Amino acid sequence: MMQQNILRYRDARYAWWAIGLGVAAVAIYATQSGRQRPGGGTWQGYVLGAAAVLLIVWLALLGVRKRRYRSTLGSVQAWTSAHVWLGLTLLLVATLHCAGRFGGNVHTLAYALMCIVIGSGIVGVYTYLSTPRQLAANSGGRSRPALFAELFELDRSGRELARACDPEVSIAVRSSIERTSMGGGVWRQLLGVDRSLFLRTDPAAAAATVTLAANTDQQAVIDHVARRVPQAAKRAEVAKLQALVVLLCRRQAVLRRIRQDIRLHAWLRLWLYVHVPLTFALLAALIVHILTTFMYW
Amino acid sequence: MDVLLRQLRQGADGAVEYQDTEVIADTVSVGAAADCTIQLLGEGVAAHHATIRGGAQPLSIACHRRGSALINGVSATSATLKIGDLIDIGGHYLRLVQPPAGFDIAIEIESNAQAASSQYERAFRTDLSATWLSMRAPSWCLAALVLLLGLLLPYLSIAPQRAGRAMPALMPTDQFWNAGPLIPAHQHATASRCGSCHQQIFVHVRDSACRECHKSIVDHVATAQLLQTRLGPAQRCAECHREHHAPVTGLVFQGDRLCIDCHAKSATEFGALKLRPVSGFSRTAHPDFSVSLIKPGAVTNAPGAPDWVVSREAVASAREQSNLKFSHAQHLNPARVTLAAENRALGCSDCHTLDLDGEHFVPISMQHSCASCHELTFDPQAPDRQLPHGRPRDAILLIQDYFARKAVDPNPGASVLQRRRLPDQQLSDQQLQESPCSGPAFGCAMRRAQAEIENQFKTRGCASCHNVIDTHSEQMPDRFQIVPVRLTRDYFPDVHFSHRLHALQKDKSGDAACLSCHAVQKSSSSADLFIPDLAKCLQCHSERLETDRVRLQCSNCHSYHPKTIIAATREAEVR
Repeated sequence: MMQQNILRYRDARYAWWAIGLGVAAVAIYATQSGRQRPGGGTWQGYVLGAAAVLLIVWLALLGVRKRRYRSTLGSVQAWTSAHVWLGLTLLLVATLHCAGRFGGNVHTLAYALMCIVIGSGIVGVYTYLSTPRQLAANSGGRSRPALFAELFELDRSGRELARACDPEVSIAVRSSIERTSMGGGVWRQLLGVDRSLFLRTDPAAAAATVTLAANTDQQAVIDHVARRVPQAAKRAEVAKLQALVVLLCRRQAVLRRIRQDIRLHAWLRLWLYVHVPLTFALLAALIVHILTTFMYW
Repeated sequence: MDVLLRQLRQGADGAVEYQDTEVIADTVSVGAAADCTIQLLGEGVAAHHATIRGGAQPLSIACHRRGSALINGVSATSATLKIGDLIDIGGHYLRLVQPPAGFDIAIEIESNAQAASSQYERAFRTDLSATWLSMRAPSWCLAALVLLLGLLLPYLSIAPQRAGRAMPALMPTDQFWNAGPLIPAHQHATASRCGSCHQQIFVHVRDSACRECHKSIVDHVATAQLLQTRLGPAQRCAECHREHHAPVTGLVFQGDRLCIDCHAKSATEFGALKLRPVSGFSRTAHPDFSVSLIKPGAVTNAPGAPDWVVSREAVASAREQSNLKFSHAQHLNPARVTLAAENRALGCSDCHTLDLDGEHFVPISMQHSCASCHELTFDPQAPDRQLPHGRPRDAILLIQDYFARKAVDPNPGASVLQRRRLPDQQLSDQQLQESPCSGPAFGCAMRRAQAEIENQFKTRGCASCHNVIDTHSEQMPDRFQIVPVRLTRDYFPDVHFSHRLHALQKDKSGDAACLSCHAVQKSSSSADLFIPDLAKCLQCHSERLETDRVRLQCSNCHSYHPKTIIAATREAEVR
């Protein structure tokens, strides 16, 4: 399980590291009882600040380490586990560094950015712990390319089956395949919006009119073809239509899995679009914080 | 236009099979999406990869965003086409062939058998990375924005601000680097300009910046004295006075460590400066008090006018030497002294008036403290004639003048008799009766005057309170001199102590509160000192928080910066 891998990696070795670091930070902070008020300006404050900077830089290096596939400097799993635990400790270390003094300035900006980065990271850990289970349950153990390969075969079979049917059914089935909507923009992926359409020939109308109808979850086209089954004149046609309905239902099931897979993957990665850019902003704010502290000290 | 699409396939037997599809469309779309006219799967194929136009228009192909195709082996994003051209998109081949009759375009499609159906995903946007969401661009933009607004613009604002130019309202200035609010006084004095104190970047705030306003502050230890110790160079002002986010108690550090860090090690660290070690406020940690007493020194000026010196002595053994005769016991005894007007005994506040600072007392003077009871009359028959206080020579002359005038006054009985009984004057019948005198009137007057002058300077009057020096001079005006009086006003000039706060104690108030520390009731000598010692303070105070003690820190009584200027002012007051 993912949970075992990230948080309990090697018997939660890095959790103990984090606790040790946190205790050391609190101990250093507690020695600030001399002439100066606790804050970033005491020697303890400088030590805690230096520790926080090193932590931030190291935490940011996870992005580099993940891309160095040949690196032997610890496994990515170990890095990720340590990233999570030490990232949580960073919140304590940085808060002790500033001793809870905040204001409308670049220093608090750096702290706020750090909090957002850590907060998004916590969301990321949560999704990394909870989503894989849902993903596995959804896809039935199959990978997404396998699902798409199955869909492709179903699409091809559907087109061929439809070609043998009468034009109304053929148009409906082929259009439903061509106008199947999956994924798309950010919101469509995150919310699993299905804007599938199909061309429906209205049999009630005097002249056969073709309208573009909603085909959410492919249910409309299945119903459309299923309604044609009792109207079929020949047994062979009934068999074709039934085969088509079965195929469309299989297609519906595969599409549901794919759509859910896209949705879960989108949520799994969404936090990173906050986490990574704000990490860069944090690094910039950190440079400004350190530089200005020594410019005006 | 009418389009013929011919799908070529390798059959099981190796022979080429083909399957024709007729399409009526304005354009032929090529891509991985299911709604494309020609659906191709593969790594190099986008969902909507290219569009082929023909019919009325010239035959051409145009690839969509970032897509490309090999036209006869040459990569292109768009091209005009002719019959026989071979288009390669992601390993799939499209060949334009001569269209049969009734068709505008005919395309032979040879799909890449290697392209797996699993590549179908490329027909859809199934990942956030395929959307407008991006990590790289926002990362660089945000980092650049922070550096621009947080560092560059504020840095560029420094020079114009120091030149006195106003900055635009929305322009981020070096105020954005402000680590926290200043105390209101500094906020007001600097007008929130960082450069007022941070005069040079990458350099600590210098003491000179502080002294631009704090001109009168005095160092805790003079540089010359500091050099005698092992304490190293003096600290910067800002080492103790930490601005930005100062505690509510102000910029002055209140903790005992401020003093104890050095003074606990005075025996080893202070070198030639011999100071007793202090490590707290208890019987063992704090030395006994020593008072600063003003005492007469060597007589170098006029006869009897000494140079006053400040003497530092232990409270327990110190004796006052003010040259004043005074008995607290006598004045506080209701059997002997009462206030005639109010018919009550004297209280402390009848003579001692607390000064405005709540710490010190208005200096005792004849005029303010004594004259309401003690008149300086010398002839009971002339109760409205008083001697001038503080000017013995004038007093002698006044007495002589008075008796000379009295001797020749044709109407000497005009004066009214005693208005009231003064506390230190016992009038006898003898005094009221003038002794007879024979001889010239002036000679009699001078003899009477001399008798009264000697009476005043030797027996009662001046001699009641003052030490008088009889010079035995032939010249009567120069014969008597009063030994100058100086009362110590501040026994602990470098310590603060609020008498106002101590006027109300746990179960005492008024005179009882005064007398609880200053036991003057039984003192008949002005040499007695009534300053309480450490033990007295410790009855109510402690260095720690205790239920029956009020906590005292060093800074409650001591100031880090010596009050040299204030002390000098006091010296002048006493003189």
